[in-house]
Amino acid sequence: MKRVASLLFIVALAVLLLYVVAGMPPMGDPDNPTATHVIPRYLERAEEETHTVNVITGIILNYRGYDTMGEVTVIFCALAAVLAVLGRERRGVIHGFVDRSEVPSSTIVKTMVRFMVPFIILFSVYTILHGETSPGGGFQGGAVIGGSMIIFTTIFGLYESSRRIPLKVRASLEGAAVMGFFLVGALGLVGGGNFLTYAWPRVSRSLHPSLVVWLTVLVEVGIGLGGAMVLTSILFAMIREEEEIAPSS
Amino acid sequence: MARDIVAGVFCCIGTLFFILGTTGLLRMPDLFTRLHPSTKCDTLGACSVILGMAVHNGWSWDLLKLVFIACFLLLSSATCGHAIGRSALRRNIPYWKKKEVTEDGHGA
Repeated sequence: MKRVASLLFIVALAVLLLYVVAGMPPMGDPDNPTATHVIPRYLERAEEETHTVNVITGIILNYRGYDTMGEVTVIFCALAAVLAVLGRERRGVIHGFVDRSEVPSSTIVKTMVRFMVPFIILFSVYTILHGETSPGGGFQGGAVIGGSMIIFTTIFGLYESSRRIPLKVRASLEGAAVMGFFLVGALGLVGGGNFLTYAWPRVSRSLHPSLVVWLTVLVEVGIGLGGAMVLTSILFAMIREEEEIAPSS
Repeated sequence: MARDIVAGVFCCIGTLFFILGTTGLLRMPDLFTRLHPSTKCDTLGACSVILGMAVHNGWSWDLLKLVFIACFLLLSSATCGHAIGRSALRRNIPYWKKKEVTEDGHGA
């Protein structure tokens, strides 16, 4: 009976969803409502208005700057929630790395991780700094740094990796994404424009392109560093309990 | 033209290795035998595709990037396979043995 009821429910849901899908505008049609209103403006004038060759970066950091600022605030709030529940590791509590895994990491893996992590971080710097000219940007680069920290911590343990990125550094950089946005936004006010305007009325027109690019890169770097530190801190908060019990000897 | 053909052949070889690796991953009976075909995906498969792209692309700075990608792929894939295999071996994960097949098709 239960089976029949759930089967009927699934069939009804499928019919409803298929009906809705059938009524959707065809995919890729240039006459779709999504492609007729704001997209042409973005595609035609993004480079001229935002001075970023990568239109996506122009949209998320410039046209929709407020939206992205909200997003990075949400990421920061997520970290705050994680830390509120799990708690931050206290300084000096981690006495050493206790390898609790059944199999200790092999020399090959350790050597490879030590060799690769610098290159991964180099690549993420490349990704962040090229955000406005090629695919990439702060979010992606930050996630790559965070991923490299996850690899490093998995192999070498919390003790080693929290020595590489001390609590002080993390605590001061976690808000970098939000701070970068607010800094650039406030600078826009100083320059005589509105909050988060990249082109400042008080600066001569000829300076605008390079100014806009530098402000965009500043926001990108902020998002990258902030995102990386948020990921690292969440990871550390989650594995802290395992290693806090380490003997103080 | 000749370059396109060579590039296409390399990409096809790479795709073939991916198909074989995935089939092996699904069909092999235990971890160790599965590790064998699945590591071929990254090393032979992806590197053939990258070689094909390098031939297609010719001499340029992108070639250097492709070479780097291939190098890191080879290093990380081999390390990954080693880590999984070693860890499984140390944990005494049982080897697959051929079992007598009973009439209902299940192993004894």
